[in-house]
Amino acid sequence: MTRTIWLVLIAGCLTAWATPKGTVPRAVATRYPAHAEQDGVGVGAKLLSRDEARKAFVSDVNDCCLVVEIALYPRKDKAMDVSLNDFILRQIGSETAAKPSSAKLIAATLQKSSRGKRDISVYPSTEIGYGSGPAYDPNTGTQRAGGVYTRTGVGVGIGSPGAGATDKDRSTMETELSEKGLPEGGAAAPVAGYVYFPIHSTKKKVSYELSCVLNGNKVVLALPQP
Amino acid sequence: MKAAAIGLGLVLTLTGYGWTQATSSDTSQTATASAQADSSTDPQAHTVQEANADTNSKKDSSQPEHRYRLRLGGLAVGAGYSYFSGPVFPYGYGYWPYGFYPYGGVFSSVFWEPFGAGFPFYPAGYFQRGEEKGEVRLTTDPKDASVYLNGGYAGTADHLKSMWLESGAYDLAVSAADRRTYEQRIYVLSGKSLKITAKLEASLPGDKQEKP
Repeated sequence: MTRTIWLVLIAGCLTAWATPKGTVPRAVATRYPAHAEQDGVGVGAKLLSRDEARKAFVSDVNDCCLVVEIALYPRKDKAMDVSLNDFILRQIGSETAAKPSSAKLIAATLQKSSRGKRDISVYPSTEIGYGSGPAYDPNTGTQRAGGVYTRTGVGVGIGSPGAGATDKDRSTMETELSEKGLPEGGAAAPVAGYVYFPIHSTKKKVSYELSCVLNGNKVVLALPQP
Repeated sequence: MKAAAIGLGLVLTLTGYGWTQATSSDTSQTATASAQADSSTDPQAHTVQEANADTNSKKDSSQPEHRYRLRLGGLAVGAGYSYFSGPVFPYGYGYWPYGFYPYGGVFSSVFWEPFGAGFPFYPAGYFQRGEEKGEVRLTTDPKDASVYLNGGYAGTADHLKSMWLESGAYDLAVSAADRRTYEQRIYVLSGKSLKITAKLEASLPGDKQEKP
């Protein structure tokens, strides 16, 4: 019995360990459009455009947030602690700023957004025909022998909620966002992943800067327009 | 009393046309993502002082509750012929071959109409999509490559051009003889379409061919 429990635990750990987390970090931090180094610890960041986010995710992350790919490069002799609370995305020239949201929260937001989407389908139809035999003509109130008739109509249907609206979808979105997100915890080797900031703006020419804390020191990265 | 009716119908269904008011649903994980128009209007941002987790709930409440997309579901064009013999009765069900009468027995019996009595409303392609499933469109090179989902054999790619899977995360692997195995983690959402293009490169002599 004890052996079975251990086997199940080991299998579970192996499964969790095998699941990829984050993205593959680039060779060095300088390969990212925005990068900095503080006491041997490097950080690189890239703000994803809406198109890039659409390609990188099945979930409609553009509906609720901005996505920043962040890579951290710890010193070779010292592991570092990675926490999402160390990051703040700020809109330059305004007081707008936000801390990252968890994958669970983003997934729930996206599910709610999807539930509000519905398709309205319009089905126009028309018919032209010929009728023979005696029949009542509603226009004249008399009897007619036959003739051509026409008919038109329009059907309107309201579809079911949009894609990704079920609870299973929410779980899948959470899985995707979590697996592609920046892994938190101790890091002795370079790590990278996506971080989701709940800022949504339709303006195109808006600049952002990323504040992060490296070794207790604040570092600000100006993110170039994607 | 006798009544006879013969109708001929021609249905021309045009799907996929329309204009979008809100976000469309199709998404691709690859570069073939479908068009997506964004309609969210409220900036969901927070001041530095408010930047914490609970602000997200405020953001949710500012989201519009419903967004609708208007689309042309189809266009039906028909031609009919009816014949009537018997006494004239102006209010009969089947005795009115003239004028507008959208629920006529002749019409609805032979001519498909989306709003006809007895016909449930199904958008175009409804039966092909599958309830609460998402589509995975797979293109591989070579075309007869073997496809594995979560380690299990699913079939050959040429027979699995379009797979409808339940919402979830899957480990997709495509393998063929003398080719490197293509592996991809995919996420399927209901009602969404995911296009995967797997071009298997030739394996090098030192490569060990493994099945997933």
